[in-house]
Amino acid sequence: MISRRTFLTNTCDGLRGIALASLLAEGGLLASDEPLRPQIDQANPYAARPPMSVPRAKNVLMVFCSGALSQVDTFDYKPELIRYDGKPLPGNEKLTSFQGENGNLTRPLWPFRPRGECGKMVSDLVAQIGQHSDEICYLHSLTTKTNTHGPGENVMSTGFTFDGFPSMGSWISYALGTENQDLPSFVAIEDPRGMPQAGPNNWASGFLPAAFQGTPFSTTKPIRYLHPPGDGNAKSDAQARSVLNLLNQRHLEQFPGDQALAARIASYELAARMQLSIPEAADVTNESQHTLTLYGADSTNGNKAAFGRNCILARRLIERGVRFVQLFNGAYASGGNLNWDGHSKLKEQYDVHAEILDQPVAGLLADLKQRGLLESTLVVFCTEFGRMPMFQMGTYGRDHNPNGFTCWLAGAGVRAPFTYGATDEFGFKSTENVMTVHDFHATILHLLGLDHKRLTFYHNGIERRLTDVHGSVVREILA
Amino acid sequence: MSGKSSKLTAKSWRFVPAIAFVLAVGFVNSPSVGAVDATGPPMVDYQRDVQPILAQHCFSCHGATEQESGLRLDERSRLLEGGDWGEPAIVPGNSDASFLIRVVAGKEPDLQMPPEGEPLSAAQVDALRAWIDQGAVMPDEHEADHPQHWSLQPLSAVVPPEIDDPWIANPIDAFVLARLRAAGLEPSPRAAPRVLERRVSLTLHGLPPKGEVQPEKPSSHEALVDSLLASPRYGERWAQHWLDVIRWAETTGYETNSARPRAWPYRDWLIEALNRDLPYNQFIFEQLAGDTVGKDAATGFLVAGPANLPGQVGKDEESMRQARQDELDEVIRTVSGAFLGLTMGCARCHSHKFDPIAQRDYYSFQAIFAGIHYGERRMRGAENDRWTERAIEVKKQLDGALQSLESMRTNFGLLPALTPHQQVEKFEPIVADAVRMEIRESSNRGRATLYEFEVWSADQATSQNVALASQGARATASSFALENQSRHPDNLIDGLLQHDDRFPWIANTAGPAWIEIELGKTGVIDRIVWQRGSEFPVDYEIKVRSPAGDWRTVADTSRRMLHQEDTRPVEIVTLQGIDATGVESLVAQLARTRDLASDYDRLSAGPQVFAAVARAAEPSYRLKRGDPMQRLEEVEPDVPDVLGSLKVDPLADESERRVALARHLADPNNPLTARVMVNRIWQHHFGTGLVRTPSDLGKMGSDPSHPELLDWLAREFVRSGWSLKSLHRLILTSSTFCQSHEPRPAALAVDADCRLLWRFPPRRLEAEALRDSILQVSGKLNLESSGPGFDFFNQSGGLSDYVPKEEFDPAGWRRMVYAKKIRMQQVDVFGAFDCPDAGQMTAKRSRSITPVQALNLLNSTFVNRQAKFFAERVRSLAGDAPLEQATRAMELALGRTPTEEEARQLASLCEQHGLEQVGRVLFNTNEFVFLQ
Repeated sequence: MISRRTFLTNTCDGLRGIALASLLAEGGLLASDEPLRPQIDQANPYAARPPMSVPRAKNVLMVFCSGALSQVDTFDYKPELIRYDGKPLPGNEKLTSFQGENGNLTRPLWPFRPRGECGKMVSDLVAQIGQHSDEICYLHSLTTKTNTHGPGENVMSTGFTFDGFPSMGSWISYALGTENQDLPSFVAIEDPRGMPQAGPNNWASGFLPAAFQGTPFSTTKPIRYLHPPGDGNAKSDAQARSVLNLLNQRHLEQFPGDQALAARIASYELAARMQLSIPEAADVTNESQHTLTLYGADSTNGNKAAFGRNCILARRLIERGVRFVQLFNGAYASGGNLNWDGHSKLKEQYDVHAEILDQPVAGLLADLKQRGLLESTLVVFCTEFGRMPMFQMGTYGRDHNPNGFTCWLAGAGVRAPFTYGATDEFGFKSTENVMTVHDFHATILHLLGLDHKRLTFYHNGIERRLTDVHGSVVREILA
Repeated sequence: MSGKSSKLTAKSWRFVPAIAFVLAVGFVNSPSVGAVDATGPPMVDYQRDVQPILAQHCFSCHGATEQESGLRLDERSRLLEGGDWGEPAIVPGNSDASFLIRVVAGKEPDLQMPPEGEPLSAAQVDALRAWIDQGAVMPDEHEADHPQHWSLQPLSAVVPPEIDDPWIANPIDAFVLARLRAAGLEPSPRAAPRVLERRVSLTLHGLPPKGEVQPEKPSSHEALVDSLLASPRYGERWAQHWLDVIRWAETTGYETNSARPRAWPYRDWLIEALNRDLPYNQFIFEQLAGDTVGKDAATGFLVAGPANLPGQVGKDEESMRQARQDELDEVIRTVSGAFLGLTMGCARCHSHKFDPIAQRDYYSFQAIFAGIHYGERRMRGAENDRWTERAIEVKKQLDGALQSLESMRTNFGLLPALTPHQQVEKFEPIVADAVRMEIRESSNRGRATLYEFEVWSADQATSQNVALASQGARATASSFALENQSRHPDNLIDGLLQHDDRFPWIANTAGPAWIEIELGKTGVIDRIVWQRGSEFPVDYEIKVRSPAGDWRTVADTSRRMLHQEDTRPVEIVTLQGIDATGVESLVAQLARTRDLASDYDRLSAGPQVFAAVARAAEPSYRLKRGDPMQRLEEVEPDVPDVLGSLKVDPLADESERRVALARHLADPNNPLTARVMVNRIWQHHFGTGLVRTPSDLGKMGSDPSHPELLDWLAREFVRSGWSLKSLHRLILTSSTFCQSHEPRPAALAVDADCRLLWRFPPRRLEAEALRDSILQVSGKLNLESSGPGFDFFNQSGGLSDYVPKEEFDPAGWRRMVYAKKIRMQQVDVFGAFDCPDAGQMTAKRSRSITPVQALNLLNSTFVNRQAKFFAERVRSLAGDAPLEQATRAMELALGRTPTEEEARQLASLCEQHGLEQVGRVLFNTNEFVFLQ
């Protein structure tokens, strides 16, 4: 067990050395609880580190539907909503929500049918994902703290409504490092149409060291500065690096024992390996036609094909041992029309987006399963909040609903097929086994062998956690 | 208010802390409470009768180690404070009113304690009741666990250790040496002059010395320090440290991340304040209350943090209150973190778990800023005075222009122009069952829009608007927009004008549009009133339908004078009875008037700065669990109890609250202010503060490595008149600072982190210093100071999808502190070097080392272009011989001559692959990237 004090001397901060030394140097005592802290070797910050307990999952693939996916039109089947179509929501006839007044209850805009062996009711909108219901643990009772997109995405990605907190992928990279030293430990794959609402805060490292931030790249947006600019040739690059190495080595010889100097030399070696391994991992052109078709990556719909290729990229990264892959569906570029923010014409909007989402994600699940990767990979499907069972006054869309929405998990350590939690008869509020995003995060960390209460980082006077001061592991959904 | 009025001891800093703490929570320590009363029930003894019950059932969750829901039951003060639930756990003397009793006795409907396991027996509940009814006496030792934390104790009057050693250059060294020797260590010898010159230049300016190798020191080290402190480069470098702490940025943050285009004057104020060594007490005052002394830009400090724009906040009451609470929370975090080194944010939902800050303190502190809003305000000063003078002239011209417009109108015989806010069209009484408005053009040629369309009945005494849905009217339109919320024509007849939660009708596309109101019943009408939307119709016709079904025009714009806001191009303007030349002259005069009016508006508003906008203070309340919908008692402006009291009249002007706080902070007896700042300065010279947690000197923070030195420096700082430059001089001329940075294995084994300062601890440069250094070496650094910043991205604010600029012109080669700071957007190339994102306050940057940094520094367009510029510079100085070039390049970049091996390698690289490769390599060396 590593004590807090030992850890403090081992963060990636400044010149490091023998932990005992600074113990001797400083007299003060900190609080008595004992967070478990990863021991980080500054020269090798991505080295795989052991979890706190036996993990069920080794890595995470998160599909993030940006813009707030409507639960009542996808996975949360509400027969009463069909019955009450066109009537006011009982008890909330005059509800004012994010954008103002609401109108009447509106039935799901797509029919629901039983899917998979388990017969889970899933709508036609996401029929192909629904076909994998036997692998899926549906969580229908999520709640969050805000009804605004940016803060909502922040909560889902970082646990806080505010900007500037470390994202889940950063926490996990910080805790566990990664299996493949030639690739970043945390990759964020943006939607081909653009950034999500909260932008890079979804994969930022906040106050954790920059080493643990997500590296954004996708099949349409390659990583920057992987290679020297245009006119740089391989030979000059090789010699430049060799001279650089010589200068750094000679310098190090004068200052033996300065770890940061050695760490910087090592970072250039890792960078050189990444120059080779990232293009290899990101190259989906050698995938078989069968695979391309499975993911819809050969679709004539350009956005669907591009998102399909991103799904293939996600699988390739997971296959190569990347610890955390965050895959976005939905962009904010148009102020909500390129994502799941269906305020005004939900039917038309979702028909466009589901075509892009459904087959590629279903293909991803199928592919992970056939390659045996679902046994070690946790798939997280999430969105920042849900939508109202009513249409907004005078529109054909639904307003934001932070009080009840659906996410799902699949893969390593997850009980499936299973449905946990429920909203009321209209899908308006979570009523049964209500789950906060903190519970969701605590459970994900638990599956990785991490105790959300003990994975902490000291910042501005507080032992910060992904789960703030809340959250508990939902044991019922563990396999 | 009772908490404050009973606080007898808080007048001075030098109170006995433990007692003050007890009194502050209202403990009436009357001896009679505990005395045995012969006629009453037997006296309960806490230790014998109560503590075992609490220990058995409660302490595991609400004791010293865990405080579920913020509740701690083993200390009387915390019992009285209560937890997140928002009420005290006990009310001494009244067990019925005590929350603790209600939850253990099953009287609180939603809460039964303990949540699992055996409930308390009836006898146990009775024992607790009796104890509370008898005054809830607890022995002193439970309170005595609170010795005042070191940072809250007064600065001690320390004397430097008396050591006679030639190494000691000033008292700092005496403290350091004493501590080193106690650990069996000796300091390192003085660093070589060129190393020292580079070090002091990087630490004070964030730039290496200018170029040439100088075999002889130009003058003494002390003279060098003085000249560096006198240079404007000093303020630019040190402003960044402060901007980090307060997470200053030029965008709002959150999803819209809108630009704050007038935020930059704060940065200028800050740089200037540092450069002229504004005394720190004044530095505090101006940032908190500069608006009271004409230093408006300084209050940009208060609103440095992120805040949502009103449009991003939900329309429901809870969202609006929450947003206001969040705004004020950012202010509290900025002020308490920056000046007090306290993390008050925790107390928003519950009393601080570690530091003596109660939830009530948080809201009292919030009340100090209850009149503060985020926005732009007039920035007084010389520029403002010039504008005011100019405004008077422009006003004269504007009046003249308006006069000529009016005479043109009468000459042409036109009706008065529309009154855009609300236009009344009167006509002869007419029987109508429907009214229609046909709009051809709107003021900005956008989509036609109206908020409300009223039709008034003709009966004089009881005239009413009959175009209301409630009167049976129905509205249709040529089209309507489906934006986030419907812009349906129903909005025209809802009778509601509140713009915050009601919406206008807006046509779906620009160009001609119509609306039609079917009245509930046929009647005589004599006027129409329309209320504008974001624009207003400028070319329209209003028609009325008779019961017979024929339409008649009752009003139109064909004879109306054009309105100043009407920006239609002259080609599409027609006025009945006026020829093209006439229209042209009218439109031209209109444009002139419009320009003058906008000029006048701008000048008379004065230059603007994004800073604290002060209005009358709203009342402040303590909030149950921080929930803005659950207000508890009202609170008055004050500092946390543990720091004393402001004694400000809540009825006095809002600014007095901030003035009082500024004075309180700058009181030499405030134990935190000087310690916190001295520690920050120390941190930026040595890489680590004497206290390693610079914005947290509370219990969760670290203890000082040299407590006496910290206090001595703090007193010295106050004594010097709060002069930051004196403090720098003191530190930089110490032998401690001037030591060599060479590691010594024996010392590393004892103190690897160099907390005892047996050498100068080297560290990686920050992003800004690295970029600025490359520019200085390449010869391209642009030293233009002050004013609006340059762009790192294709946009200076707004929604995501920022595209980084890769190539810069000289404007982009200014110092990085002048880059427009976009919240949450990592800057290309250098952002990866732990550049803070201005999301959270960064009192101390991490210094990570990553392969992405390596790739950026090797391969980015920026570095490679600068390497080319550097090559040109070297060539111009050293000619064409590779060995000469290599030598000169290293001298310029690293300030030293290369070894024979280094020169040979660099020359060979230069020969085979070009001189620019030499710069590229040098910019990547550890020697360049580290401050050592």
